[in-house]
Amino acid sequence: MSPGNDAVLLTGNHAVAWGARLARPKVVPVYPITPQTPILELLTEFQAQGELEAEIITPESEHSVMAACIAASLGGVRVFTATASQGLMLMHELLHYASGARAPIVMANVNRTIASPWGFWPDQTDSVAQRDTGWIQFYVESAQEGLDTVLQAFRIAERVRLPVMINLDAFYVSHSLEPVRVPPQALADEYLPPYAPEHYLDPARGESWGNVVTQEMYWRHRRDIGGAMDAVPEVAAEADREWQRLSGRGWDLVERYRCEGADLVVLTMGSMCGTAREAVDELRDAGHAAGLLKVRLFRPLPAAELRRALAGVRDVLVLDRNFSPGAGGVLHQELRAALYGTAAAPRVHGALAGVGGVNVPPAKIAELAGRARSSEPLPEAVWAR
Amino acid sequence: MSALPLPPTTWTTGNTDVFKTGTWRSALPVYRNPPSPCHLACPVSGGIAAWIRQAAVRDWHGAWTTLTENNPFPAVAGRVCHRPCESACNRGGYDAPISICRLERFIGDLALAEGWRHPEVPVTRKERIAVVGGGPSGLSAAYQLRRRGYAVTIFEAQPQLGGLLRDGIPSYRLPRSVLESEIRRILESGIEARTGAALATAQELERLRAEFDAVYLAMGARRQKRLPGLDYAQPWVMDGAAYLAQANAGAPPALGRRLAVIGGGSAAMDVARSARRAGHEVRVLSLEREAQMPAQREEVIEAKEEGVAFLEGAMLCAAAADGAGGLELDCVRVLFEAGARPGEFRVTPVAGSEFVLAADAVVPAIGQDPELAPVRSLLDAEDALIRTDSRQATSLEGVFAGGDVASRARFVTQAIGMGREAAQQIDRMLQGRAAARASAEPALPLEAINTYYFPHAGRARDARLGARERLRGYAEVQLGMATEQALAEAARCFSCGNCIFCDNCLDYCPELAVRRSDGAYAVDGDYCKGCGLCAEECPTGSIAMREELR
Amino acid sequence: MGKMIDILCSGHAACPGCIDAVSARHVLAALGPDCVAVMPPSCMAVIAGPQPFSGLRIPVYQASLESAAASACGLRRALDVRGRTETQVVVLAGDGGTYDIGLQCLSSAAERNENILYVCFDNEGYMNTGAQKSSSTPRYAKTGSTPAGKPTRKKNFTEIMAAHRVPYAATATAGFLRDLVRKVEKAKSLRGTRVLTLLIPCLDGWGVPEDQGIAVARLAVQSGMFPLYEVEDGLRYTLNDPPKSRPVRDYLMSQGRYRNLGDAQLDELQREVDADWARLEQRAQASAVQ
Repeated sequence: MSPGNDAVLLTGNHAVAWGARLARPKVVPVYPITPQTPILELLTEFQAQGELEAEIITPESEHSVMAACIAASLGGVRVFTATASQGLMLMHELLHYASGARAPIVMANVNRTIASPWGFWPDQTDSVAQRDTGWIQFYVESAQEGLDTVLQAFRIAERVRLPVMINLDAFYVSHSLEPVRVPPQALADEYLPPYAPEHYLDPARGESWGNVVTQEMYWRHRRDIGGAMDAVPEVAAEADREWQRLSGRGWDLVERYRCEGADLVVLTMGSMCGTAREAVDELRDAGHAAGLLKVRLFRPLPAAELRRALAGVRDVLVLDRNFSPGAGGVLHQELRAALYGTAAAPRVHGALAGVGGVNVPPAKIAELAGRARSSEPLPEAVWAR
Repeated sequence: MSALPLPPTTWTTGNTDVFKTGTWRSALPVYRNPPSPCHLACPVSGGIAAWIRQAAVRDWHGAWTTLTENNPFPAVAGRVCHRPCESACNRGGYDAPISICRLERFIGDLALAEGWRHPEVPVTRKERIAVVGGGPSGLSAAYQLRRRGYAVTIFEAQPQLGGLLRDGIPSYRLPRSVLESEIRRILESGIEARTGAALATAQELERLRAEFDAVYLAMGARRQKRLPGLDYAQPWVMDGAAYLAQANAGAPPALGRRLAVIGGGSAAMDVARSARRAGHEVRVLSLEREAQMPAQREEVIEAKEEGVAFLEGAMLCAAAADGAGGLELDCVRVLFEAGARPGEFRVTPVAGSEFVLAADAVVPAIGQDPELAPVRSLLDAEDALIRTDSRQATSLEGVFAGGDVASRARFVTQAIGMGREAAQQIDRMLQGRAAARASAEPALPLEAINTYYFPHAGRARDARLGARERLRGYAEVQLGMATEQALAEAARCFSCGNCIFCDNCLDYCPELAVRRSDGAYAVDGDYCKGCGLCAEECPTGSIAMREELR
Repeated sequence: MGKMIDILCSGHAACPGCIDAVSARHVLAALGPDCVAVMPPSCMAVIAGPQPFSGLRIPVYQASLESAAASACGLRRALDVRGRTETQVVVLAGDGGTYDIGLQCLSSAAERNENILYVCFDNEGYMNTGAQKSSSTPRYAKTGSTPAGKPTRKKNFTEIMAAHRVPYAATATAGFLRDLVRKVEKAKSLRGTRVLTLLIPCLDGWGVPEDQGIAVARLAVQSGMFPLYEVEDGLRYTLNDPPKSRPVRDYLMSQGRYRNLGDAQLDELQREVDADWARLEQRAQASAVQ
């Protein structure tokens, strides 16, 4: 298969691997884990075939993968990796390290339940639990979006000097075959110039990274990371617009689906958006003014955009395929926080829908939407399946 | 407030040497050069550690140059010195002292073999110096004065220069070729020597004083001490010095088979051993027990090897012909106690220990006194010696004295040292400079040496000719070192207090605060934290930590 | 060694008399300026200096405690990609970051024979945190976490690395500086994973006077507690001078961490050292026959 503008059938994992290949990373440390492994395998296959000029490192753990990613990135080259679930958990310490090091690493994470007990099912608790690590987070709904987002992620990461995590739900996205347009290399190259950092570890430069700082320096460093995060919505929007100009495909940071005049909006992330689209279609067919807001950029949360999109909406139904014990659904909380204090804020209803990968059919979403319309929101999210 | 740019929070922009960590310190290392014990013990202050170090790195000519700054007789001293340096050597407290004397001989012999000469020094001083006596002390003084640019004339009573070295020490201990060569080399530095010119009267000394700007008296001690109760007129009595003079000239006197040699010093040993070479049966009677004898330990050992019998702690009381062509010597055992000063002693006969010894001749060798009659009217004397101060000055202005004429410490190297000291004083006097104050710094103790750097290693074996071979003639008894042996021995030296530029202080400094340039080390006080590692790892004790109060 | 060009800088914050600093100084000088260092938290990381100042004249990346070797691999590959294949990537780690928390990723790097030089500055405990035991702490040594003395043996790290069949694994110490520098130079001349373990007497942690660090390091070797040896390709053992020549008592009594050691314990340690030494000799002899 060769890249071009004809659509080919690819799984989400393979689409992500293609996106990585087109970004021309120079160092790719990887460790296998279900359901991410096909990404690893396709990348190593590309490299073995001479189609990917990158150093593949195969350490003993995801922890070492991320350690290698950070050092390689500080070494001045573009770095990609992929993981899932427990692997992401093991990386946790170094996720902080990576953002602190201002390393523009791009990583795909296939969302999968976290143990114990063991499971292999789509669940976003693994990645939402990393929301405070300083990584930019995208959640994608499809294979094509996965490919395109990898390229966009490098562009954003290298502009703001923060790492980016692209999340795709286990199996629903990672293993589903879809027609995907793989852009030609020249187009990817035009979109993503070679990585040329201002600083990097090199004997000719002599500068060092990571020495002990004072309280004051640490304070400024964290503030600077905050500043970089604040710039992300604008940088990411530009990256999406530019990609749309070149490829014809744009994905927005927050996608509005049939939200015109809607009094109820379903708000969710990842593969659940596909199901929610069907539910919205059914509700619209039944004469209800319902819409879908797909949160594609979760970190930083594009609060201003969400507020704009929800202006005038009476009810929001948040579907969380994750669970934070003691707090509920993470997106539910985040949205309430984003809307808190705004004039005429919508009523926010939360549902823990799809936790553990259980199936949530469109009819169930329609039912939850109906209930949201007719009742006051509860302080906690409700369990739904 | 000034608007200094804030330091970057990421990526370094400079190095830690902006931090002057020397402020942590409470002590600073100081490089020092304390005297080595050998140096303090050496009668010629011979810079021993320095020349041994040069030898260790095969800088043989440098070693010889250093040696001859203090002593123009390394090949002689390397054979006959009484080696106080070796007794003082710090290595003696660790395994065995360095064989300094033989090392000196090795270098001295090498210099003779290579024909190395003293540098030619032009006469730059208008003053002229007279040296009376061409023995080791006079030659040493003459040499040192010549090196300092003075014109020097030696007046020697004997037909040849050398004094005791020639007339007293047998050639199996000091080969004549060695002696001749070192004397010749001294004279070649431009010294006039008038032999057969004795100082016989006070007027002659006055004349010398008038003609020369300074006079050094080093006539030696040639008047034999006499044993009371012994009739020196008897044909079977012969003075030790006379015996040696004849024996050394190749014509030992015929004195019968059995010789009794009286005395416990080097002269007695030389008589006894020369007599063994002339075929005599020899017995040495000494007042001292063996350990008390002023002779060098080695001489006693070698004498025994050569078949000399010893009667220690014994005194000859009377001697008479036994009527059968031989002698009966009445002797008694004594207890010998040394006095406070050299030459002083007390003997107590042991009651009932009288015994009779049979012999054919008696050769007393109990020491000599100087002949002071010619100078007595002009100079203060004390205890049969010309009295001098510690810098060899006599009571008469411009006149100095040294060697056996002024000292009872009858060692060749002490005579050489006194000549050197006198030369320095004469030089200072003529230049109108004050005498340098003697340093009171004590010798570096063994505890200051880091012995890790000196693995235990045996002292070079003292090689000697076999006893049987020795008795066949006057072949030299003590054998020199081979080059490898000399190198190994030099490498054993602790170089006490003498920096060997090993770079340990530099290499072991955790702060990179020690620098080396122009043959010296310097400590950068900006960074030195005063840990003391440099002083601890200095092999030679050349660094001390000096406390700093802030 | 007097002519070396230093990479370590003055003004660092190591304790007075620190053997870590002496050792790092010579390791770095022997490696030269075409080098990048990776340091996990350790005393070395203190020596590395406070932002924005560096204690080294080469770039340093301060990694997390457990990830030094993995980080070095990432950096190595980045340098390779940029054409800097001759640049040395050297890890300067402590024994906590090596024997303990960092062993997993080091094992992995060694298995892949990554082209890095890993130098463990082994001061036999967590000295930077105030002297707690690590798996490198020898039996009976007192630490903050083993106040009655550690009951178990020191982990044999060099043999662990040798079992990976790395091209070069060796022990060294600043007490034998020429041997140390020779080993760094040898390691530098090889490619693949090279591992040096340097014994670093910790003045404060071991109870040693400020000027005695080098002397104690020498006793460690002379007593056989820390033998100097090299293992090439995991198989060829070479014992380096000096050989075991003194009783362990001489070494142990030079340090406060072995105070109040009983005779029975002393004898036990002597037996262990004798047996270990005999085993090493056997290996060295077997290697010589090959």
